[in-house]
Amino acid sequence: MADKVILYDATRCTACRGCQAACKQWNENDEYIPPPSDQRGVQAKSHGSYENPPDLSPQTWLKMRFTETENNGKVRWLFTRQACMHCTDAACVKACPNGTLYHHEFGFVAYNKDTCTGCGYCIDACPFNVPRSTRNLFTGIAKADKCTFCTTPGLDRIAEGLEPACVKTCPPKALQYGDRDALVAEGRKRVQTLVAKGYTNAYLYGEHELDGLHVIYVLDDTPEAYGLPVDPKVPATTIAWKDVIQPVGWALGGLTILGLGLNFLIARESKIKKEQPAKKEEPAEKEK
Amino acid sequence: MTNHWGDIANSDVVMALGGNPAENHPAAFGHITIAKDRGAKLISVDPRFTRTSAKADVYAPIRSGTDVALVGGMIKFVLDDIEANPANYNMVYITEYTNAAYLVNPGFRGPAELDGLFSGYAGALNETDGAKRKYDKATWGYQVDENGVPRKDKTLADSNCVFQILKRQYARYTPEKVNSICGTPQETFLEVCRTFASTGKTGKAGVILYAMGTTQHTNGAENIRAYSILQLLLANMGVSGGGIDAMRGESNVQGSTDFGLLFDSIPGYLGMFTDADVSLQKYLERVTPRNSDPTSANWLQNYPKYITSLLKAWYGDAASKDNDFGFHYLPKIETGKNYSWLSLFEAMGAGTIKGLMAWGQNPAVGGPNSNAERQALASLDWLVASDLWMTETMEFWKAPNVQDPSAIKTEVFVLPARSSFEKEGSVTNSSRWMQWRYKAADGPGEAEDDLWMINKLMLKLKELYTQESGPNAEAVTRMTWNYGDAPDVHKVAKEINGYDTNTGLQVDGFPNLKDDGSTACGEWVYCGSYVEPDKEPNAPVPGNRASRRDLTPDQFNVGLYPKWAWSWPVNRRIIYNRASVDLNGEPWDKEHPVIQWNPTKGETGGWDGDIVDGNYPPIAIDPVKSRYPFIMTAEGVARLFAQGMADGPMPEFYEPWETPVSANQMSDQLSNPVCKVWRPEEHGSVDKFPIVGTTYRVCEHWQAGQLTRNLPWLIEMQPEPFVEMSEELAAEKGIANGDKVIVESARGQVKMAAMVTKRFKPFQMNGRKVHEVGLLWHWGYSGLSKGDSANLLTPHIGDANTMIPEYKAFLVDVRKA
Amino acid sequence: MEQEVERYRKPTRILHWVHAGAFTILFLTGLILFIPALGFLAQDSWTRLIHRIAAALFIIAPLIYIPLNWKATLRGVKDAFSWGMDDVGWLMAAPRYYFLADEEAMPPQDHMNSGQKMWWLLVIVFSGVFIITGLIMWAFKTVAPAALLEWMVLIHDIAFIVTGAMFFVHIYLSVIHPLMRPLRTGAWSSMARGKVSAHYACSHHAKWYERISKGEEIEHQ
Repeated sequence: MADKVILYDATRCTACRGCQAACKQWNENDEYIPPPSDQRGVQAKSHGSYENPPDLSPQTWLKMRFTETENNGKVRWLFTRQACMHCTDAACVKACPNGTLYHHEFGFVAYNKDTCTGCGYCIDACPFNVPRSTRNLFTGIAKADKCTFCTTPGLDRIAEGLEPACVKTCPPKALQYGDRDALVAEGRKRVQTLVAKGYTNAYLYGEHELDGLHVIYVLDDTPEAYGLPVDPKVPATTIAWKDVIQPVGWALGGLTILGLGLNFLIARESKIKKEQPAKKEEPAEKEK
Repeated sequence: MTNHWGDIANSDVVMALGGNPAENHPAAFGHITIAKDRGAKLISVDPRFTRTSAKADVYAPIRSGTDVALVGGMIKFVLDDIEANPANYNMVYITEYTNAAYLVNPGFRGPAELDGLFSGYAGALNETDGAKRKYDKATWGYQVDENGVPRKDKTLADSNCVFQILKRQYARYTPEKVNSICGTPQETFLEVCRTFASTGKTGKAGVILYAMGTTQHTNGAENIRAYSILQLLLANMGVSGGGIDAMRGESNVQGSTDFGLLFDSIPGYLGMFTDADVSLQKYLERVTPRNSDPTSANWLQNYPKYITSLLKAWYGDAASKDNDFGFHYLPKIETGKNYSWLSLFEAMGAGTIKGLMAWGQNPAVGGPNSNAERQALASLDWLVASDLWMTETMEFWKAPNVQDPSAIKTEVFVLPARSSFEKEGSVTNSSRWMQWRYKAADGPGEAEDDLWMINKLMLKLKELYTQESGPNAEAVTRMTWNYGDAPDVHKVAKEINGYDTNTGLQVDGFPNLKDDGSTACGEWVYCGSYVEPDKEPNAPVPGNRASRRDLTPDQFNVGLYPKWAWSWPVNRRIIYNRASVDLNGEPWDKEHPVIQWNPTKGETGGWDGDIVDGNYPPIAIDPVKSRYPFIMTAEGVARLFAQGMADGPMPEFYEPWETPVSANQMSDQLSNPVCKVWRPEEHGSVDKFPIVGTTYRVCEHWQAGQLTRNLPWLIEMQPEPFVEMSEELAAEKGIANGDKVIVESARGQVKMAAMVTKRFKPFQMNGRKVHEVGLLWHWGYSGLSKGDSANLLTPHIGDANTMIPEYKAFLVDVRKA
Repeated sequence: MEQEVERYRKPTRILHWVHAGAFTILFLTGLILFIPALGFLAQDSWTRLIHRIAAALFIIAPLIYIPLNWKATLRGVKDAFSWGMDDVGWLMAAPRYYFLADEEAMPPQDHMNSGQKMWWLLVIVFSGVFIITGLIMWAFKTVAPAALLEWMVLIHDIAFIVTGAMFFVHIYLSVIHPLMRPLRTGAWSSMARGKVSAHYACSHHAKWYERISKGEEIEHQ
């Protein structure tokens, strides 16, 4: 398969957030300071967590999540990356009305920001709640953004044969970029090593989900522990909208127009036929 | 570091103690990743569960300031285990390469007998008279034979031998004691011991990674000594995957200490000149270590060569045999006087010091007791500060508690500086690797690099002193200073390396330095870094070994990369590496050798692998020519027992100056008996301040924040300072996560966001519960992101040996704002 | 000059045209999201603004009309929900009537024939559906749960398809179908000028024409 993936090993990740900064720096995304800002200038508020900014945004395509857990007195601090998973069976690609979101030849989900209408259907459909949009609530003018797998036009690292910026930066070697088959095999091996070490819930996330994600996670615990959805699916409404309603709509519209065209031809014929005998009779009536 | 970053990948156990590499050295964590891939275990010992702990196999909590107790407990574990299972340890290493067998003066008494003190103390227990807080070390010396050679008992049985003294000292450091002092659960503590002690086996190696958590205490230096003892007993020094690795906090701070930026040393860790040194000869007599043991190399006996060469570098033709090589030009410090950071700021506050130059330094945020230090700045006549952005130090009159800025008379000069990519030069990292860097861009506006600034300053000073004279004028006027008007950093680097004063050719290695004035050298340990071009023709800058970027692996493939940059001394990558071989020169660890004796090399044999630490044959092969492996000590072996320390030849546990307990569980000596107490009136009592406070960093910000708090992407990640506390403490105080709280100490108070977390737990010590909180200290009142400075809380007190301030353990109280 | 009968008052006609105009704009701008090839038209999001302006009109026009014409509104709404055997009669006759132009086959119709009534009901119901789903999407896009928004999209889309198809039929029957001609006196004229010829009224809405011819008050719609 020509597909390429990122392999993210949550056990190696130290959540240094070099990836978070590198992504912004490479893609020229600004810092996003959520309101309200206090009077100390460029300032966001701490909300009692290392997880800043607290959410993805049109300018934050990648962030780390920090989860504290405690089991039998043993504290754990789980780190995981949160960004577009670049699904094979991508709900956003399905939901996108005009093909703005599409699959890159290597399998990632890329998008053409110019053609984005800002409808936001991708945001509604995404099982990982990833895309975010700038939006003028009044005019509805909006554009959506998400991780481009470093295929951002003009800043396309993949086309130049380079690895994504996040992968390049990662100091503890938690991120790797390469062929899907090789990295899935590597991921499986690492999961086995973890299981042997006693992490019985270790799991390779992204191998099968949504026909395979292009960001694969080596986890030493269940996906739920890491805040990842178990067995994510393309929403039924998206499938209904794209695979059912659209064709039905086309059919109905088409049939209607055809029907009306047919009706016109038949009705006109019939009316003409009806009027001919009347026309023949008319002169007789006029005579009366 | 005794070893280097990449060598961590060779370790079997990595212990991060008093350091948080995942947080503060993320780029280096990759080496730990490789080690773990190879099956290594990671231990994290820290007051709270950190990002490093999240990756560790074993996590042990420890109350801040109690490291000596914990490591002492580990030493006891190993000593007991050596007795029970000697096959699991390298007894030859211990007996032959350390001073375990050396006999100590029979008059020596230790804390086990003297209730916490060592013999020779001038005062009483818990002495408050500063004049009496010191030791007469007469009883700490070795017993010597008629030739002055130390006497030894290689059976380690003599009750006066270091090994037995060590056993008596640490017999008191039981797991129960460790638990009652440190708050570390016994079973967890023993797991740490077992895991790390497993590296005592021949062929296994463990490394200790540490940083400020170890050093920033009143007994910080003794913390390190405790690591040394532990690592020596485990035979982990000089071997691949072993070592004691300081993770330096700035990319070039290793370089800065190499060049004597501490008051008591001059470049190359040589002793500073004092007023007792009335001549060069007197000085050399004072500083040069004496040794009678013919098998000890006592490398520092070469002091005269390095000092003379240094003086030739500074004074050129104005330094000759006739005038004591210009020795009398040099300013001298007062004997015994303390010129450390704390004393400088006390002197500024008192008006004794009139001016300060702060180069890339932000004392208003980074120094302890911020109110006192900002007050000290306000007492100066003038202040010169150089940095990339406006810092708190540059605008100290804007500090929150300053009532009337117009009353401050200090004249402040701000010199905008260039960043590391806007200038050329070298940077020496924690691994002692000197790496040459190039200029990528010009600085903005009027920003200049430090060399340009200092060059201009010095040339102007020379001119003024020549015209107007002044105190000690010759120190400046006689100096050679030939780097050009637009100074050439290569000229500086070449002078640092050293050259033959007759031929002008670069010297290759400090063995070639002379004490007769025929060589000049700016820093002897850097000799060999910049040689003649034909000696290193393939380097990107020919002759400049620091510029090398050749990734050819070393002979034994243990990750030394001998042709990448240049490592001091003489490109040695693992120091003390002759301890990595047995008495025949065969590596202890066959799979990861550092050096190996090769009898077929050269005429009489030689060493393969790393640059050998002292080119002497193995002792079993040539007992006469050979020397002990630790050539930098006078006696030639590593010191389990170290007479040079100010507060004791062995680490003894004392509580931090501000302690939450009323009594030291180990003895009646409550806190360090030697360190200078500057402000006894500012001692916070546990009645008012019952909670242990500590300060630390986050990955996203750096030191006093003058760089990172001006970068929006980093501010976005960590927008404001916070204080981490346990859920239990938060519940007691009614504090919710994210609430603003006031943290107060005897010196000041701060307002910060609270981060309520599971990663801090109260310490259960001897039936008593003690809370600890940790504050980020990166913030101040300048820059794009502003916040309160945690150092408003920390005390003006420092280590007994190094005077480094005790930032890491003090007392506070916390309440909701 | 042939006698004329008023079918729709001015206010009603204005409402019709404003609402129809708004609907047309809404339909066309919505079509862009339905036909990928037209997607480029929405590139700079102007069409989304236009959609919202038209939506505002779509909501405001009836809101203005209703209080000023509440009698007609009540009557109209009552009509929309009145269904009975007469409508079955229309349904049975519809194929012959519309395809074979067999006017005799169609039983007499009232002010609105059953087909018109069906369209009218659709307009009332689906306008409501459009407005509710549309407003939720417009106002709560950033705060509503994704699942809710997805349902809004789906329902809005279904409404678009159904009303779209009927929209074609409505236009066709208004101006193209032979039985509703000529434009000057027929269906188009009823909404363009408000009047139709008596002949048209008699042949297409005989029941209604009979009532008003008897002198009963003209039911102004």
